[in-house]
Amino acid sequence: MPSSEGGVRHAVPMIRRRSLLRSAAAASAGALALPAILESPVRGAETALAPYLEARIDWQMAKGERVHVAIIPTIFYAGWKKLASEFETLTGINVTFEEIPPGLIRNKTVLDLSSKTGTYSTHFADPMYYPLYAANDWVEPIAEYLNNPKLTDPAWYNAADLIPAWVAANSYHGKLYGIPFDGEATVQVYRTDLYSAHGLKPADTLEQYAGNAAALTDAAHRIWGAAVRGFPGPGQNMYIYPSIYLEFGGHWIDQNGKITVNGPAAEAAVEWYVNLDRKYAPPGVQNWNWPELADGFSQGVLASYIDGSSGAPVVVDPSRSHVIGKVGFARWPKGPSGRRVASIWNWGFPINKALSQRARYATWLFMVWSSCRATQERTALNPPEGTVFRVGVNRMSLLQSPGFAKLAERIGTNFLKAVSDSILHDTDPDWRPRVPQWPAVGEIMSVALQQALVGQATPKQALDGAQQRIDQVMRGGPAKP
Amino acid sequence: MSDAVHGYKPAAAAERRFALLLLAPSLALIFVSTVLPVIYLVWTSFQHEDLSMPYLNGFDGLANYTTMLGDGQFWNALALSAIYTGSTVVLQVAIGLGLALAISQVQQGQGLTRLVAILPVVLAPVVVGLFFRTLILTPTFGVFDYFTQLVGLGSHNWLGDPGLALISVIAIHTWQWTPFAFLVFLAALASLPADIYEAARMDRASAFRRFWHITLPLLRPAIMIVAILRITVALSAFAALYAATGGGPGTATEILNLYAYRISFSELQIGYGAALAFTLMIITLVISFLLFRLRRAR
Repeated sequence: MPSSEGGVRHAVPMIRRRSLLRSAAAASAGALALPAILESPVRGAETALAPYLEARIDWQMAKGERVHVAIIPTIFYAGWKKLASEFETLTGINVTFEEIPPGLIRNKTVLDLSSKTGTYSTHFADPMYYPLYAANDWVEPIAEYLNNPKLTDPAWYNAADLIPAWVAANSYHGKLYGIPFDGEATVQVYRTDLYSAHGLKPADTLEQYAGNAAALTDAAHRIWGAAVRGFPGPGQNMYIYPSIYLEFGGHWIDQNGKITVNGPAAEAAVEWYVNLDRKYAPPGVQNWNWPELADGFSQGVLASYIDGSSGAPVVVDPSRSHVIGKVGFARWPKGPSGRRVASIWNWGFPINKALSQRARYATWLFMVWSSCRATQERTALNPPEGTVFRVGVNRMSLLQSPGFAKLAERIGTNFLKAVSDSILHDTDPDWRPRVPQWPAVGEIMSVALQQALVGQATPKQALDGAQQRIDQVMRGGPAKP
Repeated sequence: MSDAVHGYKPAAAAERRFALLLLAPSLALIFVSTVLPVIYLVWTSFQHEDLSMPYLNGFDGLANYTTMLGDGQFWNALALSAIYTGSTVVLQVAIGLGLALAISQVQQGQGLTRLVAILPVVLAPVVVGLFFRTLILTPTFGVFDYFTQLVGLGSHNWLGDPGLALISVIAIHTWQWTPFAFLVFLAALASLPADIYEAARMDRASAFRRFWHITLPLLRPAIMIVAILRITVALSAFAALYAATGGGPGTATEILNLYAYRISFSELQIGYGAALAFTLMIITLVISFLLFRLRRAR
């Protein structure tokens, strides 16, 4: 047609016998090679999917469903997100992610769950929120899925391998509500070169930690000795303070079941916290959460901080860190009570009860895929090209594997031992009061802590004010219904 | 004639019915999107609705309002709302009027001035809040902090110090919304009759007397409208403040709107949060009503 319409009839090549034979030969060769050409990507996909195909479940049972996941934005989940396309190939389920900053993800997911809109099939859940979810019947008990052989191959999934402390943290009244995906323990992170130059050792006690900070702080040369989170929020400054409170001998719930946040132990704990951040932390620490701490440390202005171990990829990221090869790790310093209390933290996946049954199955398959050993290993120890590693593996077998030990060596001095010891010995599921009222309790305490930190109130005033408000929230009743 | 009258009435009634029919979708939309939520808000404010204790939920009468009266943080937030609203509105009117008076005297480049002036107004408040928090007011690294160090005033924690934080958020709000007042006043000045000024000049009235006795009274409607609009916006300010300070440090910048948000969505006390929000709504309505009355008074 173009030849007649465009007036270029002469451009049509004449078909000769030789060219016809040549074309036929080429077509035959192509036809012979076709299976091999087609096979290579299929074989590649099959190789990648092979570990999952060993599970005796029907991965395609919820084909066509969509799973929408709320997560926090951070570089070390890029590998997992990249591999999600494999999950889509494996199951025929479409996966979409929505990145919400840590300070907002709780509010948005609670709004979704309470309004039963079913926007998020699952989300990165704060372990402290499971009592609230359970009290409102917003999420599914995981046992129904874990113990159903159609949905889970118990031998292949091996739930017993999940880090026990995290499983305990995600359980409420004996029921598991969220599958741990990625977690951490809080540890001391310090500059080995600065510590050596000053003849210091990582602190064994809180008193030593403040002493080290005093020795290292040199604001004139833009070096600050230590910092902990100042940003207010139940998952921000109230992520660090509970460890200090318990180490000073505090107890969240008294003998009558009443939540207690004031008193001598609490005042001493707040004094220590305020003193550390006011005297030895960089200006503006009142608004610093973990990303700012990790950035400050990797830029070389901070000699030490106490925070989650999963920030390690940031502090040893070659594209942004100035302190690679000078990073050391140690357990939380002991408090006056003799206790070391690390955070017990993991982002877990719950199943939104507002979904249809088929969508819940799809969500469960996504959770199984994300939390199984193969994906954990491939996203943590051997991340896809162009992505960074992840250290918050959810399985004991991986934490104690040679691969993790090798990775830990790359991160810094004593990383593996500090993290392992913290997870195994320093964690306590009740390091914060696990009650449905936690969002209010955590919020009130976070504001009180910041009031004390910025000098808006003395520690005693801030804590007494918080106690009064918490009593009002609890309506004088016990912490557990 | 009587036939015409008799014929007109049914036609008018039919027209009214038709008009109502045409209006019905819009009215229904307004009812569903505005009136119903307010009714629900009022209803919720009389409930004990706490997501963390669903087993206690139920009608609670005026309990949320009595709690409010004894809640020190409510009074603190209310006082902060008054300071924030009062100072931002006064600053916007004063600076906006001053700028408009100055620019109205300049004949060249008024179009460009208007274009530049409108830029802060069209920015999303959340962007403004983050912009000031991360680029302008950050201690040591922020642009403003750099200049204060340069002129020997030293580095300050503009958003982290309780005293400075309130001043900073007032400055941020004033920076963003003064151009609005400026543009309104500039338009109002352009419409003032020139003959009155000419007569005043012939009577040898000084520039200040011309401003005080002519310009200001004639601008009164514009000033009142700007004040009413700015008060309602300042009382319900949220995004820029939330992005810049989140109500902190501590509770130093937690105006009533932010406090209602914290109670509702962070502490999950929906009933008490609704009572706070409804109280803020009533305060806004009463102030607007009084200002409208004041506008009509003369």
